[in-house]
Amino acid sequence: MTTAADSEQLTATFAEAIRHALEDAMAADDSVLVLGQDVAVGFPFGITRGLAERFGKHRVRDTPISEAATMGCGTGAALLGLRPVVEVDFGGFVMLGLDQLVNNAAKLRYMSGGQLRIPLVVRLGQGPLGGFGAQHSTVQHGWLANVPGLAVCVPSNPQEAYDLMRWGLRQSDPVVFAEDLRLYRAKGPLRRHEAEITLGARIARPGRDATAIVFGHAVTDALQAADALAQQGIELEVLDLRSVSPLDIAAIGNSVRRTGRAICVSDDPLLGGFSATLAAVAGDQAHGELRAPVARLGARHAPAPYNQALERRLFPSSDSILTAVRELVQWGA
Amino acid sequence: MSAPSHPLLDDRKLDFQLYRQMSRIRAFEEAAYRAYEAGEFSGTIHASIGQEAVAVGVVSALEPGDLVYSHHRGHGHALAKGVDPAKMMAELFGRASGSSSGKGGSMHLIDVSVGFLGSMAVVGGGIPMAVGTALAVHQRGDEAVVVVFFGDGAINQGVLYESMNLAAIWGLPVLFVCENNGYAISVTSEYATGGLGLVERARAFGLRAEAVDGQDVIAMRASVSALVEEVRRGQPALVEAMTYRLVGHSRGDPAHGIYRSKDEVDEWRLRDPLAVFAAATDLTDEERATIEAEERLRIDQALQYARLAPEPEPSALMTDVWGA
Repeated sequence: MTTAADSEQLTATFAEAIRHALEDAMAADDSVLVLGQDVAVGFPFGITRGLAERFGKHRVRDTPISEAATMGCGTGAALLGLRPVVEVDFGGFVMLGLDQLVNNAAKLRYMSGGQLRIPLVVRLGQGPLGGFGAQHSTVQHGWLANVPGLAVCVPSNPQEAYDLMRWGLRQSDPVVFAEDLRLYRAKGPLRRHEAEITLGARIARPGRDATAIVFGHAVTDALQAADALAQQGIELEVLDLRSVSPLDIAAIGNSVRRTGRAICVSDDPLLGGFSATLAAVAGDQAHGELRAPVARLGARHAPAPYNQALERRLFPSSDSILTAVRELVQWGA
Repeated sequence: MSAPSHPLLDDRKLDFQLYRQMSRIRAFEEAAYRAYEAGEFSGTIHASIGQEAVAVGVVSALEPGDLVYSHHRGHGHALAKGVDPAKMMAELFGRASGSSSGKGGSMHLIDVSVGFLGSMAVVGGGIPMAVGTALAVHQRGDEAVVVVFFGDGAINQGVLYESMNLAAIWGLPVLFVCENNGYAISVTSEYATGGLGLVERARAFGLRAEAVDGQDVIAMRASVSALVEEVRRGQPALVEAMTYRLVGHSRGDPAHGIYRSKDEVDEWRLRDPLAVFAAATDLTDEERATIEAEERLRIDQALQYARLAPEPEPSALMTDVWGA
């Protein structure tokens, strides 16, 4: 369906794009409702601001601080055909609701032999926001990609956030929407369209010398690194995955076979982290055509520190991507 | 829908139904246990022998459109809600024509067609789902009550209290039913539960709550009948059924000898719910024997069905995971 508003291109922040997606989905589908702490006023990031006024507090439901019951409630409501969006503003708090998400939401379709479907969307704000300390600066996408029965979206810009949220709210099975807290204020073009969105990676910047396999905030970092590398004659391809489950294995293979070099970036630790899966896929897909060993960047193996200078050293950055790509290109020379 | 008249003992037709349902559960679990011991299927099973009056009493007080959640010891709840014993037995055997296509098993019995929404095997895990389902019912303006069964092992799970609170603040049609059989495997409810116990805890959340003799199907039915219409109108409630399992927790433990004495089990055997009911009604010995024989036959047929039912295709491994 196309309306006049669809063709209008706006500039919006990542946070506003998510709000627009929720608003447009709620207007189009009465079964969508939002559950979470402070959602009626839209605290702390403003994502749900204004939705309660427009759609009523019965559809934008504040919950007590009861993450397990809230996640289970979303699951049990989804099972009867509602489309709950459960908000977990700081993603680490999802740990209190993980039994419900992992043991019930993700498994019930399978355990019921297909009788039940759980059209639940879980919004997790994850990653370091800058000095919020160890318990508010966690990264969950790797754990959750490890759970069969969940899809995990990792948008990198406002349009992608809008599109993937609209996509998620059309699925019949649970979708985790991992929003990097650092992106909320990032601005970009946005069309509030209702086009058919499909999952799959996109080439955010083409290049011939190496592929950065990235998602979420790391797309911004990789694009910055690519600009700097281009000054030095190195053309970095930036492959934005958009989701880590399902994983677009074919797109990884196509890009890495072409460039012959891969750097895999993920904000969880290297040990057991998602960059290991990406590296294994890149190696499998491009075996024999690699010009250098596949490289990985992840978090150092420590909790997130409060001190911001230390925090910046914990996670991958445009600088660490730039350095790693230069080493890749020089490998064996 | 008017509530059934009391005293229920006047209603012989109902007596037959209640006795038949309890007999069916007993026959099913005895047959399943024998088949399991004979190595006919794998995994484990948790029998509710001795607790049949809870399942039957509660579900008999509901409307057909009401919805039920259960737990790992859920055969009785499923049968009482109307799940076909043959489909259920085939599920225990892991067969393609089982209620969950052989992919759920005894601990994940689910049959949406009769409003049996599922058995969660993590203790307490189904409780918040019942609240969510009741929210969906409420949001749509439907009339159904959502019942969630859980054992005394769940009394000290935090999510129970989060869920009671949510049901209370939102005024949702949830009936919480605790089957307190005294033991979470080997740990007694008495040891594990501080303060005034579950009924008082529920009242503290604003729920109507009472303890009921779980060996007495008529008392169970009467309690739920008296509460259910208020629940339907958005006043959540709790029933704590005081009951006993006459068998071990699962295959791994005997009925007595490790954490329970023979004397204790023998004493509860005198309060076997089928015997309690027989003493309270005027069903004749012959009538009861006929019902029992018919139900044993039904379960034998279910066993035969399960034995002959096809195994899932290998491709079933990867169906119904996510998408499409």
